[in-house]
Amino acid sequence: MRTIGITSVLFLLSLLALACQTQPTAPPKVTQIDETGLKDLLKPRGKPVLINFWATWCGPCREEFPDLVEVGRDHKDKIDLITVTLDEPAEINSLVTEFLTQMGSESPAYLLKTRDQDAAINLVSKDWTGALPFTILINAQGEAVYSKQGKFDTDILVAEIEKL
Amino acid sequence: MKKLRVQAAIIAATIFTLTACTSYNETSPNPPLAVGSTVEDFKLADTAGAEKSLDGLKGQNGTILVFVSAQCPTVKQYNERISQFAADFAAKGINVIGINSNASESPAWMKSHAAENYKFPVLVDKGNVIADKLGASLTPEIYYLNDKNVLVYQGAIDNSSSGEEITESYLRNAVEQSSSGKPVEKKTARAVGCSIKRASV
Repeated sequence: MRTIGITSVLFLLSLLALACQTQPTAPPKVTQIDETGLKDLLKPRGKPVLINFWATWCGPCREEFPDLVEVGRDHKDKIDLITVTLDEPAEINSLVTEFLTQMGSESPAYLLKTRDQDAAINLVSKDWTGALPFTILINAQGEAVYSKQGKFDTDILVAEIEKL
Repeated sequence: MKKLRVQAAIIAATIFTLTACTSYNETSPNPPLAVGSTVEDFKLADTAGAEKSLDGLKGQNGTILVFVSAQCPTVKQYNERISQFAADFAAKGINVIGINSNASESPAWMKSHAAENYKFPVLVDKGNVIADKLGASLTPEIYYLNDKNVLVYQGAIDNSSSGEEITESYLRNAVEQSSSGKPVEKKTARAVGCSIKRASV
């Protein structure tokens, strides 16, 4: 009886740890863009867009990604989710794609490579100092209505999406 | 014996679970300190545990505070350049001081990282007090002070994390201009890096 109880505890703890991980799906296409491509992503598109800047080497980025994918999926009628990695181009078809696959991410994915990160960061938001992750919610008119440097709070993000 | 093994397994599983789900506060409570502001003297322990002060470590002609991290891949890419500019600027009477504000990094890790990579002192910013005061939010991040501890440049070291195709050496340019008595043209610059893992509130 005691053995069953201990085994159950261990099993439940394992499930909880696995809850912090995700499931793999088909590999997504990742498009490399420069500053011009970034400007295009930020243009008004008639539908709100949620853009997440991340990198495979960024621990908090990886931690929040499952929640990001879920938010994008649950609110796809209201927003388009776009992910932009700051990984090196050499990783575009390896680490980046592998991670997005593992995350089950099916939203448009980009890799930003620019000579002037300062200008690129400034294009995105004056509130972004460059630390990853960075998430920005842009309304249908192209105006930023919410941004978060560091891991986002899902409840707060969803509340902002619901306001749109 | 069997009971001890089972208890050990439960403890190990619990630690693993907590580690898998641990997170830190990554948002600075303040924006970066404005260029032109004076940085007051502060005291922090170095990686050996000895208390050091900004005024005790500053250079005769200026000081560069560089926020570093033992685990950040971007800092790793910059380590060689950081060491190089520390050596180059020392010759100009400008001292470099490293600051590690990451709550996610143990003192032992900070110490070994500093010993392996830098010849300048690295201070342990327990509770991210100085990071909060200066509004530092990522690593690596530079605060370049003149001889009077006035901030003359803040932000990125250059415009290429990888070190390839560096076309703007923001920090070196700022030091050159300031050392020549000229105004620093580009006073701030941003680049992508790792967020400072602050102790959670």
